[in-house]
Amino acid sequence: MKHPLQLLAPVVLALLLTGCNPNELGIKVRPQSNTPGSTSGSGNGASVAITTKSGVAMVYVPAGSFTMGSDQGSPEEAPPHKVSVPAFLMDQVPVTNAMFEKAQLPNPSHWQESPKQPVERVRWRDAKQYCNERSRLEGLKPCYDEKTPEWDCDYAANGYRLPTEAEWEYAARGTSDGPYDFGSKDALRQYAWFAENSEAKTHPVGEKRPNSRGLYDMYGNVSVWCEDVYDPKYYATSPVDDPHGPPSPGKDVKRVLRGGNWKVSADLCRATFRQGERTGNTDACFSTDYCGLRCVRRIKPEELAQLQTNKNKG
Amino acid sequence: MQNGNRRALRLGANAGLRLAALVIMLFGVLRSSADPTPLRRNLKALPYKIAWECYVNGNWEICVMNADGSGKVNLTKTPGVNEHYPQISPNGKQIAFSVDNGEGREAVRTLWVMDIHGKHRRQIADHAREPFWSPDSKTLGYLPQEYAPFNVVDFYTKGMMFYDLATGKTTPHPNTEKLRHLYNPGFSPNGKWIVATVHAGMGFSHSIVLIEAHGDRILDLKIPGCRPRLSPDNKHIAWGPEDHELAIAPIDLASDTPTVGTWSLHIKDEKNKIYHINWSPDNRYVAFSRGPDGEGDLSKKGSFQAACEIIGVYAGGWNLYAVSAERTGAIDMEKATEADVTQLTTDGNSNKQPAWFSTRQSGRK
Repeated sequence: MKHPLQLLAPVVLALLLTGCNPNELGIKVRPQSNTPGSTSGSGNGASVAITTKSGVAMVYVPAGSFTMGSDQGSPEEAPPHKVSVPAFLMDQVPVTNAMFEKAQLPNPSHWQESPKQPVERVRWRDAKQYCNERSRLEGLKPCYDEKTPEWDCDYAANGYRLPTEAEWEYAARGTSDGPYDFGSKDALRQYAWFAENSEAKTHPVGEKRPNSRGLYDMYGNVSVWCEDVYDPKYYATSPVDDPHGPPSPGKDVKRVLRGGNWKVSADLCRATFRQGERTGNTDACFSTDYCGLRCVRRIKPEELAQLQTNKNKG
Repeated sequence: MQNGNRRALRLGANAGLRLAALVIMLFGVLRSSADPTPLRRNLKALPYKIAWECYVNGNWEICVMNADGSGKVNLTKTPGVNEHYPQISPNGKQIAFSVDNGEGREAVRTLWVMDIHGKHRRQIADHAREPFWSPDSKTLGYLPQEYAPFNVVDFYTKGMMFYDLATGKTTPHPNTEKLRHLYNPGFSPNGKWIVATVHAGMGFSHSIVLIEAHGDRILDLKIPGCRPRLSPDNKHIAWGPEDHELAIAPIDLASDTPTVGTWSLHIKDEKNKIYHINWSPDNRYVAFSRGPDGEGDLSKKGSFQAACEIIGVYAGGWNLYAVSAERTGAIDMEKATEADVTQLTTDGNSNKQPAWFSTRQSGRK
């Protein structure tokens, strides 16, 4: 039996979709022009674009279930398995040079011609530091404990963090069961910068079409760090509910890197393609110039609804 | 009975052989400790000392030892004050260094100068890093931190300043507005250039550059890697082409556009990282640090997390070594013997950033 608030959630979301109102977190909610008509998963409502207190555009991705992985790709993408993720906000674009510098962190990017180019050559821990800095900028509780060796993640905190691998794939696949949420590989040029069209460099974010959730550069430009430890066999044992990846082995850890990038072929831009990358934490001059990031933060539909209610009362 | 005699004889012979082997072994041990290799002997005879950053009782300190590794002394002895990155003035009389206070982004790195005996400290700058001396020992250059909140990454710098030790006045480098993300700077002994590494700044992805000391020219030396050091005679450059390599090559600093020649010495270590190469005052030796890969140890007070070659990051298992800079060819650290390399420290307690100085100049015994 559903809680009354759960029954009200779609109504509240519909209310949210009708306006562009700042709430007490400084979030402006506006309708997402490219919201999906239906989803391959059981997403409870549509994606919504918002702007955070520090001016970052994010997309509300409703909670839902989907089939993660594929038996049509590489062995590590199998087996396809059912996964559920709670609702979350995800950056509409990868973190840019300008966004990274706003957090007063040393920008390691190879390409800095434009402030709108995505930041790259980011070590895994530096990506997490950016998340914490942005949380502090917005008065949110940082997710990462900087005093632990691997900067342990408090998933219950309301601050920013890297997406889990499941969150990333759920956001990327949007309405589709296939390898690209927009349909066939032939359309990839319209959605992504990858080896065939990038001219061997990154490009300002948001220049290509967004995916069905309204997220830009999900299939190309830079790959993004995820929170999970990379294990090619993880899908065989992954839990259904909100998987966070396998435990860290402590040494020589690889973390999940997701999404295509300027350097790779169309096949490696697939939404189900998985790769692990050394974190770069022991490297003074990390030179992997396709490693970027994109933040997420957990938010419940009730939280959005409550914020909207407070606004209306105010 | 005959069998018994043979057995007794065999036992006696075995005991004799064992005794002889023991004597030979003991002789060898005694000989090796009493009669060092020519390299260690040569280092011992030098009128030089080496300062470096050491980690003693949960605290960063600056230590000093003889050039052969003997006579280690904790120069600073300041529990609770984290000193590192010692840089000796060319006249051998002063040491510039950095001090970190605080944790995380609230930490503040300050720059200081003291005399070669560790006395008469004075602060030069705050939110700054990586001091370097002018050839006349009268000016201290440094790199301001890029933003006020701390970050341990070494290229977190913007601009370049010069502090006049006589007047206490600070002036910017004429091209300071364009200088960004430099690290490990050092004056060329002829005073014309400042050599440094740049990462993700000034239009460079990653390069070792020469910056005109009093102008706005910037030359890419087109050699891979980082952390260059110019020899006191202006003739050679030593640097780390990558994490597991060090190299020495000629450089024509008298030229209007200096270039680096063919590598004369190439030190390799497949297993360990090798870093922080630095010259002896007579250009004949280099010291460097060596140890396993790592990302720091937060259980060590005053330490940050990053690649352990970075200043302020505890480097477990790291020690200092010296080799002849006059050698040519390659040295493989995994196969090197005492004839090739002299190990200067042994405690593995984050020994980094060796800096030589002459006791004749400094007056320090």
